[in-house]
Amino acid sequence: MEKKKHIGSKAIILLVIIYLMLPLVMTLVYSLFKEWIDVVPTGFSIAAYAELFGDSAFWMAIGRTIIISVLPIFLCTVFVLLTMYVIVVYHPEWDRFMQILCTIPYAIQGVILPICVLSLYTSAPKPFSDRMVMLVATYMVVILPYIYQGIKNNLTGVGAGRLIEAAQMLGASKLFAFFRVVIPNIMSGVTVSVMLAMAIVFGDFVIINTLAGGHFTTAQMYMYDVMKKSGQRTCAVIVVLFVVTLLISGGAFLLQGRQGKRKERG
Amino acid sequence: MKFKKRTYLFAIVPFLALCILFEIVPVIYTIIRSFMPEGGELGFTLDNFINIFSKALYQKAIINSLWISILSSVIGMIIAFFGAKAVHEGAGRLKQIFMSILNMVSNFSGVPLAFAYIIMLGNIGVMTMIGKNYGIEFLANFPLYSVWGLLLIYVYFQIPLATLLLIPAFESIRTEWKEAVALLGGNKTTFWTKVGIPVLLPSILGTFSVLFANALAAYASAYALLMNNVSLLPIRLSEQFVGDILQRPEFGSAIAVVMMFFMVIAIFIQNKVTPKQGGRH
Repeated sequence: MEKKKHIGSKAIILLVIIYLMLPLVMTLVYSLFKEWIDVVPTGFSIAAYAELFGDSAFWMAIGRTIIISVLPIFLCTVFVLLTMYVIVVYHPEWDRFMQILCTIPYAIQGVILPICVLSLYTSAPKPFSDRMVMLVATYMVVILPYIYQGIKNNLTGVGAGRLIEAAQMLGASKLFAFFRVVIPNIMSGVTVSVMLAMAIVFGDFVIINTLAGGHFTTAQMYMYDVMKKSGQRTCAVIVVLFVVTLLISGGAFLLQGRQGKRKERG
Repeated sequence: MKFKKRTYLFAIVPFLALCILFEIVPVIYTIIRSFMPEGGELGFTLDNFINIFSKALYQKAIINSLWISILSSVIGMIIAFFGAKAVHEGAGRLKQIFMSILNMVSNFSGVPLAFAYIIMLGNIGVMTMIGKNYGIEFLANFPLYSVWGLLLIYVYFQIPLATLLLIPAFESIRTEWKEAVALLGGNKTTFWTKVGIPVLLPSILGTFSVLFANALAAYASAYALLMNNVSLLPIRLSEQFVGDILQRPEFGSAIAVVMMFFMVIAIFIQNKVTPKQGGRH
């Protein structure tokens, strides 16, 4: 009986794994062969990758993606940390409003937020009508829930309130206590949510396509352009970008696991 | 003195400015605009909404969007239920691998996912060609470029999300309950229908809302697969503002409001039913 149950659940897991892995594996194989019109692909070649890595437009696109993810994530983290300082130290009761503000992005996810921003600011005065400003700000709003939740969980985890009290007893000011005692303690936890946010911005197509169109070719837009030209090369781009995303989110996953262990031991 | 004490309030200014300028005001502006007549004059009208619900093109978008979101969530949910149940019943090393794969493929969505399906089942896709060569009708004529193809893609990205959200819920099911049901003469089916699923119901409903919102807002995979040739709310919404056809911001705002309405319902249900715990991650 026990044995049978085990085999049943194993079979289900295996089936789901096959279903989920199929498109990924096919994409990988497709990128490595010249032709695939029968069961077995023919003409192994890494030309698609060579071409891709030799294309300066690709590296430019990667560079733009990095800029457009790092800037909003950095700013968003700083903004949330500053606000959490006021909430933790002076007004814990304001956290309710903060939470509401950080939940709204879920309700306007996908195409809704960039469309709302675009429709409001296209004909607005200069700093707002700048596509880059819109882009950075929109990304900041999109990742807000993740950054907020990450920072909040970690603040609760280290017992920020008591840490500040202790530091004050030792003669530190509230400001010093928060920024020099609490923040260094939560930094590695915050890194996890930063990396999750990074993976989100890295994989974004809808916001960049809506707000920047063809004017700011990120890696996702580059992929979309290549799609119309060559199947092999598109698959190569997909594989490379997917590996990068995996490294980012895998890093976050590892970091989280290590922290979990440290907490258990502690 | 009083003033000096309050200088710390400056620390919330950047955050508030961001939320007001790029979250609250754009949404409120869109809502107001959805009640204004087309063409830019001032005034109040319900025409935009009447148009959405009466014109066949937009009715179709609403129906398609709701239909594909609900169906993909239900299918994803059923598969995720058995997946999470299998993980709960424990399969050692395989469980670890499964969890890693779920985390990995949850990153595989949007344009890359749509393209993977194009090379598998598209016009000259690998499986389509195999189907043609060996006379497998189902593969040779697979309707990828239709709502059915989209459904297949949507189900794909729902599964990892649903399973990852459901696995923690299964941890609340205790072995003693199963034993109690067995002692009272119930079998496994009795346990799941009378105890297991009712206990999990809040988590199932909460997860369903997340999936529904996720599918309703999905844009990239549909756009990559069918461009604007499919009637879905996000596609119809974005084409009122971007692209080649005549731009109709007031009408588009009304579409956005309809979408936000569905999203808010989904999130409201999720907040009501999910037991208090920190966020989605």
